[in-house]
Amino acid sequence: MFTKITAAALLIMLLSSPAFSQNYVVNVHGIVCEFCTYGVAKNVRKLDFIDKTQFEDGVKVDIDNQMVYVAVRKDAALKQDVLFEAIESGGYKPVKIWSINDAGEKTELK
Amino acid sequence: MGLFSKRPKRIFSIGSSVCLTLGLVLGAGNTAHAHQPIMDMAPRWSNGYGIQTRVEHANSETTTWLEGVYTFKPSVRMTLKIPTVDGETGDAILAVPLKRYVNKGAFTSNWGITPSVRMPTGGGSDWDAGLSVSYSSETRDFYQLYDVYALGDGRGLDINIGSVHANGKGSSWFTLWDVSAFDSDSGQRILTGPVVVYFKRNLVLRAEYKFSAYDNDDDWKGDFFSFGIGIVY
Repeated sequence: MFTKITAAALLIMLLSSPAFSQNYVVNVHGIVCEFCTYGVAKNVRKLDFIDKTQFEDGVKVDIDNQMVYVAVRKDAALKQDVLFEAIESGGYKPVKIWSINDAGEKTELK
Repeated sequence: MGLFSKRPKRIFSIGSSVCLTLGLVLGAGNTAHAHQPIMDMAPRWSNGYGIQTRVEHANSETTTWLEGVYTFKPSVRMTLKIPTVDGETGDAILAVPLKRYVNKGAFTSNWGITPSVRMPTGGGSDWDAGLSVSYSSETRDFYQLYDVYALGDGRGLDINIGSVHANGKGSSWFTLWDVSAFDSDSGQRILTGPVVVYFKRNLVLRAEYKFSAYDNDDDWKGDFFSFGIGIVY
């Protein structure tokens, strides 16, 4: 009896746990000031595949290392060309993108 | 004093440098500076826009500027500056800053060419054409701007150099030194002084003070003060 209850509880927990988003990080040349980040983040947040529950409405900018972190909804797919276009229209130059796994390891996307 | 004389002619060089400097909202420092009235650098994103108001005091006269900017794309924007002195509207300046950006690593820079026109909205009939050529660059800690310009019978050089202090959480301070040289039919002058700019997300505040390092200008006397606040979207 106890085993069944425990199994049921675990199943409920698994089914009710929120879907984890997929995180990516983009190296963006030239993004060196706080004010610069506003336009880029604004454009990226408009994209339909962004998970706004993560980071700061789905985006985090690291001006020390010129990196833009984005969270993509688990039920959506990253559209790299659309993401790069959004960053470019913000005035800066995206050059590389990596996916980040749960352990924080990065894999460059081609 | 007629409206025509209320053109921000005197302010001309002064704030300009700053303007460019941040391009920000505060860019306004100089009244007559035709270009980047508001933001030389911001909004840098496509379809961005902003508005700022700035109060300047010089030559025993206070001028309030209302300025707007629209960015069609990072390389093309349009700005409009409308001055008010003693409740009366002066000559507005419309400009089209055109920029070529270079982004590389932790460095961004741009060359700019800004054609402008000063319109007789203050009651006169004269239209003045203007042109500026500028260069600015920025790193995580340093900012510099050089701008050579002409508008109407005036021409000048603005230099802004200083440090940037970002907190990594969406706000930063710019502490700059401004040197503005100006030449017109009334003489020449060089003003210099500190500029402080604060950004928080899309809000910008700017304050500046300049004193005369050299003054052979019949139309100029005393120091210059400016304070502005602006927002971009």
